[in-house]
Amino acid sequence: MLVVKNFCLSLNEKRLIQQVNFRIDKGHVLSLMGPSGIGKSSLLHFLSGTLHHSLTATGEVFLDGNPIHDKPTPLRKVGLLQQMPLLFPHMSILENLLFAISGDLKPVERLQTAQQALEKLGIPDKANALPDELSGGQQARVALLRTLLSKPDYLLLDEPFSKLDPALRRDVRAFVLAEIRQANIPALLVTHDTDDAKAMQGDCLELESSPSFSTST
Amino acid sequence: MPLTYPRLITWCIALLLMVPIVVGLISTILPAFHYFPPLNEQQLSFAPWVELFSQGEFYASLKLTLITGIGAPIVSLWLAFSLLAWGYQRPFFRKIEALLSPILAIPHAAIAIGLLFLLSPSGWLIRLFSPWLTGFDRPPNWISVQDPYGLSLLLALTVKEMPYLLFVMLATMKSIKAQESLEVGQALGYSRLTLWRKVLIPQLYPLVRLPIFIVVAFSLTVVDLALVIGPNTPSTLAVTLLRWFNDPDFSMRFMASAGAVFLMLCVLLVIVGWELSHLLTRHLTRSGRSNGKRKGITDNLLRLGAGVGVLTLLSGFVALLLLPIWSLTRRWRFPDSLPSQWTWSNLDRAAPLLLELTTNTLVIALFSTLFACAVSLIMLETKRHSLASRHQTTNNHLFDWLIYVPILLPQVGFLFDLHVLLIYLNLNGDLSAIIALHFMYVLPYVYLTLKSPYLAFNEGYLQQANRLCYRPWRNYLHIKIAMLKPALLTAFAIGFSVSIAQYLPTLIAGEGRYSTLTTEAVAQAASGDRKQVGSMAMLQALFPILVFWFAQFIPSRWTRWRLAIQKWRI
Repeated sequence: MLVVKNFCLSLNEKRLIQQVNFRIDKGHVLSLMGPSGIGKSSLLHFLSGTLHHSLTATGEVFLDGNPIHDKPTPLRKVGLLQQMPLLFPHMSILENLLFAISGDLKPVERLQTAQQALEKLGIPDKANALPDELSGGQQARVALLRTLLSKPDYLLLDEPFSKLDPALRRDVRAFVLAEIRQANIPALLVTHDTDDAKAMQGDCLELESSPSFSTST
Repeated sequence: MPLTYPRLITWCIALLLMVPIVVGLISTILPAFHYFPPLNEQQLSFAPWVELFSQGEFYASLKLTLITGIGAPIVSLWLAFSLLAWGYQRPFFRKIEALLSPILAIPHAAIAIGLLFLLSPSGWLIRLFSPWLTGFDRPPNWISVQDPYGLSLLLALTVKEMPYLLFVMLATMKSIKAQESLEVGQALGYSRLTLWRKVLIPQLYPLVRLPIFIVVAFSLTVVDLALVIGPNTPSTLAVTLLRWFNDPDFSMRFMASAGAVFLMLCVLLVIVGWELSHLLTRHLTRSGRSNGKRKGITDNLLRLGAGVGVLTLLSGFVALLLLPIWSLTRRWRFPDSLPSQWTWSNLDRAAPLLLELTTNTLVIALFSTLFACAVSLIMLETKRHSLASRHQTTNNHLFDWLIYVPILLPQVGFLFDLHVLLIYLNLNGDLSAIIALHFMYVLPYVYLTLKSPYLAFNEGYLQQANRLCYRPWRNYLHIKIAMLKPALLTAFAIGFSVSIAQYLPTLIAGEGRYSTLTTEAVAQAASGDRKQVGSMAMLQALFPILVFWFAQFIPSRWTRWRLAIQKWRI
């Protein structure tokens, strides 16, 4: 369970987000919506520990009761999926998946895990293909599975569907939700699209830029 | 790159770059005022200057330097603009574009030797038209190369510099939206060349200003090219200074140092004058740009330039082809346009020498370029850090101007005085000293080539890699460096060809103990043994072309080959 308490964000003394609190249960997706520039992505960066230092954020984050807001990124075990799938273009699909699988496993087990993932994706024949030979929807799915194969403790999704064309979006959404449920980890989705939020079948948190937020304190 | 102390590293590298520059500068300026402790001369005076200004040779040399050093950049710039205006985005122009990078890669000494083979009285051009047109049965008594006006040197400089400027311009075409401007202008009824004159060239010039300054500094100070194809007695100032520096009479050094300082001032003054005349031209042509005329007589200047430009490129290319022909020649009598007998024995006979020269050349080039690539990566990483952390949008990083200083300073003088430092460090004549001096001249080109692709890299890939599997150094190599492979290899190829072309750094740091293909080819260019000189110049040209070809060919295929081999192993 991921719990965020009293999150505040400001840029150059200007308050962007004031006092946000929420909790996400394992296997559930919380959708976060709001106008551009309000700091949705910055909240994700805060949660992953990569906030730009021009921004100031305060608040506490607990994962299963343990505080993680003081930990550096490498120790947080966070998965992040962005608009761009960011598959490494010089590695085959299989190598992209293997990259995320823990090196503590035996080589045979790693290969088996990666091949299971390929079958789940329905592209076992594309193991040696390069990312640019896949369609946009396939790339998005590979990117999600790659992130989940690194066994993150919680998942952050930064508008991962916005680059896909509408026909594909429904399929990919369903795939993402099913995988998150199977991995049984809390996930936070940032989106502009109300359909995204509905498809995730979870709570929806709407950030608003009310006048009280924008006045400096 | 997970660097721990980026600021500290920035300053360390800056210091490393500045020390040789400052030491070289100070030890050029002090002897010019008669201060040179190694010769027990510590009394400051203007005597070297008085002596310098009383030399008749100085004025004759200076005149030649100014003619070639100002003429060549002007002609190169005119031809480059003309070719671009005439051919941009036309299908056959792509073929010319493809010819550019081999000509760029080839050391200038090799091109000069090839031009010597082409243009000398017994050269290929006259052979081609003899005896059927000219009636010559033996070489005419003309002075067509090494002419006293420096025209052949001017031509050689143009052959080398025009492709460079054209290459730089082509790279900046996207940022001025040339295609769109041409479409809009042509819809308004303007002719293509007029559009270039009024719209595109004024936008292009500020973007290529720095490469032009590099070309100006190079033309004013070049030594090896002037030795091969330039006039002698009097020669250009840089060559005259070289002779004075090498004079067994050490007291000549003071006058030579004063001359070197003067040459430095010359570069500075010419660049300032160049900028002023640019301002003046801009002011004069300003009203003409918006006078609404769709065509103009000055368009013909561009048309003429395009024709001359093609001829210049062609002569450079033919000059290169003559190198392997001469190296395989057994018998080639004067009016014949091709050798009557061919042989491998020139190469065979010279094999031990060529092997030694080639080994030296490649070892020096390989180490200096690899070192330059590594240092460039560290420098760019610290630059990226400072760009990311300070919200900086300006590009005024310490390295960006420091890096140009070695290329803009005249090598003659500067290097001779750096040599004094090497003697103090007991490194004179050592291979490491040669590599260090080459490094100084390779680094700027590697850094500049690598800069924009490195800074444009999407850090998201590296961040995602570290989230998936936190091994910062391994990911830096396997993700970022691996993805930047094409840019790195291109930078390597450019650095490699710059190192192979170096003449004075090898000569001065090596003290003659290490010869390379370049130093030997330049030394023997005057000997008249065309077969041997041709072999050296051919090898000198061959390696950069090979490396450039690898750099173009390998990265695009690398991943496929790697995957194919791995699939085969499983």
